[in-house]
Amino acid sequence: MEQGASTLGQALIGRVPIATWTLVAIAFFALGILVYVALRNRTRRIDVEKAVQAFRSLDIEAFKNLVDSNEEAFLRDNLSPRKFREIKRQRAWTAFLYAWEAGRAATALAKVGQAAQRSSDPETAASGLQLAENAFRLRLQTMRACLYLLTGILLPELHSRSIPPLVDQYERAAETLVRLGRFAYGGSELGRSKGA
Amino acid sequence: MLLLNWHKVLFYFLWISPHMLLVVLAVVLYRRRLYREFPCFFAYVLYEIAEFIPLLTLYSIEGVIGKQYEYVFSATLILSVALRFGVIDEISRDLFRESQFLKVAARRLLKCVAGLLLIMGLVLAVYAPGNNSVRWHIGVSVVNRGAAIVQCGLLLSLLLSSRFLGLSWRRPAFGIALGLGILTSVDLATSAVRAEFAGAATREFLNLLVTGAAFVCVSIWIGYLLVPELKPASLAVVSGDEVETWNKELQHLVRH
Repeated sequence: MEQGASTLGQALIGRVPIATWTLVAIAFFALGILVYVALRNRTRRIDVEKAVQAFRSLDIEAFKNLVDSNEEAFLRDNLSPRKFREIKRQRAWTAFLYAWEAGRAATALAKVGQAAQRSSDPETAASGLQLAENAFRLRLQTMRACLYLLTGILLPELHSRSIPPLVDQYERAAETLVRLGRFAYGGSELGRSKGA
Repeated sequence: MLLLNWHKVLFYFLWISPHMLLVVLAVVLYRRRLYREFPCFFAYVLYEIAEFIPLLTLYSIEGVIGKQYEYVFSATLILSVALRFGVIDEISRDLFRESQFLKVAARRLLKCVAGLLLIMGLVLAVYAPGNNSVRWHIGVSVVNRGAAIVQCGLLLSLLLSSRFLGLSWRRPAFGIALGLGILTSVDLATSAVRAEFAGAATREFLNLLVTGAAFVCVSIWIGYLLVPELKPASLAVVSGDEVETWNKELQHLVRH
């Protein structure tokens, strides 16, 4: 018993410097991020064009196909388990990149919305407020979708078999991005009508 | 001898000057009416100035032994740590001020982060230092270390979530967050090293580091609070109609 306690004590003593250096590393990491954010904050500008381009660059039909549960069931039935896992991972990764880009576009729109909030025109300011609110919601939705897709990448088998609600989540994310696609095309039309 | 004197001069300079600057900061906060928006930060600044006076007096009196100074230091530290949490709360309120949705969702998320950090802080704070003797001032330093982990993590979460969500900081709030972040991260590193290496030379070096960080931090606060807010980014390239169109489309998205 005493020997065990002594071994445990020695093990703890051995771990102490590691814990100390972990804290120091955390502190330096935090300092690095603080300096980075401070410097980035000085040069940050609202890039409206970038936001619009990000929205238009998303191929929503492709995304919907990637997260389609029927498509997944078809692949599962017709491929070997190993091949299925490989394909599933690739599909989930591609869908993840779509959702990630949609999230980035939402961030850009949130910035536009916040800038519009400060407009002297009350209508633009009110629209800006709503735009920012909706963009924040979409950002959090895409974050959730990304987490689910990451689960799909890491655990392709477990993901689709044991957690059925995730499929719904995929669907919801797909639907969200379908609407996003309509918006993207609408944006193009808006641009054209303005040009004409 | 000369080296020793230089060290002493540097130590006093780095200890006294941030507190002088804190007086300037308090005046800036008062004159710009910022104490209304950041009452806890204002209280923190005043408290830091007030606690400095007895500490400097005790340090200067010949008859006072190190232990007595340590007791007073530890006692004043506890309230200082508590006030810092209040300041972080004020910063988060200011950051999410414009969004009703984020006021609820992001602050709830922040509470979860705080809970996780608290657990991490407790584990790391208890297992990090070498000296495990049960003395109350050692207990205070463990609490301080744990609090530094939580505060550092919370400030980082705020900074990262603002980038992630595309939130715009107001200059004073950003300055306060940046300064406090630097102070807590240096505090975290030095308190961990201090517990491990108890040598006099190390202690003196760490004291210089902490006071130096305080100097930088107060300078940042003054800088950010004195410089006027930048003009908001121009929206000349986007018409009101376009903002409205985007808004309608996003409404469809998020309602789903």
